[in-house]
Amino acid sequence: MAFTIMVVEDEPAIRQEICQLLRNALYQVQEVETFSNAAKEVAEKSPDLVLLDLNLPGISGYDICSRIRQQSEVPVIFLTSRTDSMDELTGMLKGADDYITKPFQPPILLARIAAVLKRSAKGQKEQESPTISYSDVILDLARGEIARKRGESETGQKAECVELTKNELKILHYLFLHPGQIVSRIDLIEYLWDQQVFIDDNTLSVNITRIRGKLKEIGVHDLIGTKRGMGYYI
Amino acid sequence: MKQRQGFQFQIGTYMKDQMLLILLHIVCVALLCAFLHVTGYSNSGIVLIAVVWTLVLTVWLLVRYVSRKRYFEKMIDTMEQVDQRYLLGELMPDSCRMEDGIYRELIRKSNKAVIERIHAIEEEKTEYREYIEGWVHEIKAPITGIELMCENEKNELTRRIRLENRKIENYVDMALYYARSDEVYKDYMIKKTDLGKVAAEAVQKNKQYLIQSKMRVEIDCKDSAYTDEKWIGFILNQLILNSSKYRKGESPYIYIFTQRDENGTKLMVQDNGIGMKTEEKDRIFEKGFTGSNGRNTERSTGMGLYLCKKLCRKLGIGILAESKEGEGTKVILTFPVSSYLTEL
Repeated sequence: MAFTIMVVEDEPAIRQEICQLLRNALYQVQEVETFSNAAKEVAEKSPDLVLLDLNLPGISGYDICSRIRQQSEVPVIFLTSRTDSMDELTGMLKGADDYITKPFQPPILLARIAAVLKRSAKGQKEQESPTISYSDVILDLARGEIARKRGESETGQKAECVELTKNELKILHYLFLHPGQIVSRIDLIEYLWDQQVFIDDNTLSVNITRIRGKLKEIGVHDLIGTKRGMGYYI
Repeated sequence: MKQRQGFQFQIGTYMKDQMLLILLHIVCVALLCAFLHVTGYSNSGIVLIAVVWTLVLTVWLLVRYVSRKRYFEKMIDTMEQVDQRYLLGELMPDSCRMEDGIYRELIRKSNKAVIERIHAIEEEKTEYREYIEGWVHEIKAPITGIELMCENEKNELTRRIRLENRKIENYVDMALYYARSDEVYKDYMIKKTDLGKVAAEAVQKNKQYLIQSKMRVEIDCKDSAYTDEKWIGFILNQLILNSSKYRKGESPYIYIFTQRDENGTKLMVQDNGIGMKTEEKDRIFEKGFTGSNGRNTERSTGMGLYLCKKLCRKLGIGILAESKEGEGTKVILTFPVSSYLTEL
């Protein structure tokens, strides 16, 4: 089930774009229009997380946060363009779970949201499944391996598997998340940078070649195609 | 006693000041002696009168000299001891002389006027700084808006817009940190900071520019330091931008790593860029300095490293650059250990 995030932000343009960003990241989004009722709305709709702007017309984000805290333990992330340390401290004292300053990198916002959700959902199962498969290839994210499904003829025999490096695993993971689409090299590189793998174009080509080699080892040919001048696809 | 600069109370100059008085006495003694001689007074009597007169005058001059010297030395001492020298008017020693009183009053009034002027300028400066800070916070909203729009609508055009948007953000940040750099203590939260996380965020912030420049980045920061995350992030950001601005060749590279020794934690940003001439290396932290690199490659304001140095000084971080022309640059930030904090 997707998490629900409530967005309390007064700038319409930013609110709209944040909502879009969150929807693209497969969250359910609730927008708040009347800020003085924000705390009440939180109580009624019980979202999994609240994104709260600090400078709202007529009311401060701190007050809303204190009011929310009186009734619930829902995680709150402050969004603000103020960068004073005092603000950050006040935010934490008011019971916020995290504090993000504008302008932020959207991937960083998403990462912080994911981190806070993970922390708050203590007992809950990890959302991401540790393996992804496409056609007859299984990608084991936890162990960093690829293996090939054996089909019906499998007789308890362990599938051949090959270990991947951290970078190869991340590249393949991204391709597996976008089956049937052409993934442009620049998209792929940007995704990798968001994952703290800071490589350049040439290194990407080398990694793709290595992945193809490893796929061949388990008997899979031509899984990753190249669209000249555009990118890769599976 | 150390040599004082400027005016000194010396016997030679003092005598020169009293020259008129001495001349007057010489004339008077001479006239008296002539008169007594004409009236038939004995020569020995005349000599005695002249000698006694001279003695009395000398003693008077010496006593005056000593008392004036004391008066002024006391004043100079007071001046050296106080922090706010412009308050001298209030601290001048009492004197029964009318002239001293008048000087004292004049100095007091003049200083008061200066103090008022300083207050007015300080107020203006604060107001201006507050306006800049407010403005920076206002403009961050549209920058965020553009960033989000580009993220939600990824294509070649929005990628280029993001690149430019990121430049705006950096210039805006520089304005903010410059406005605040004099009052770092007001906005300062020291905590244990994971340097690797700060470095990764600074790199990610600039990913569009770095990817476009075909940079490779490696981060190897296992150590943490007690410092302010936000300020150190800003400094790292400037260093990363510099490294990619002054890149060289086919495989430009930034290596950010930490090292720990007995003097503290060192955070280093190393690149394989064009480096600097030795004679320019020592001047890069000066305000407005754009070396031959700054003029030959992209536009350079000469503000980035100056701000870094200024902030580092305020934060108690050492900053140092090592470079060889044509081989790259290494900037070293040193976070001194505080035995008190590490024991906690």
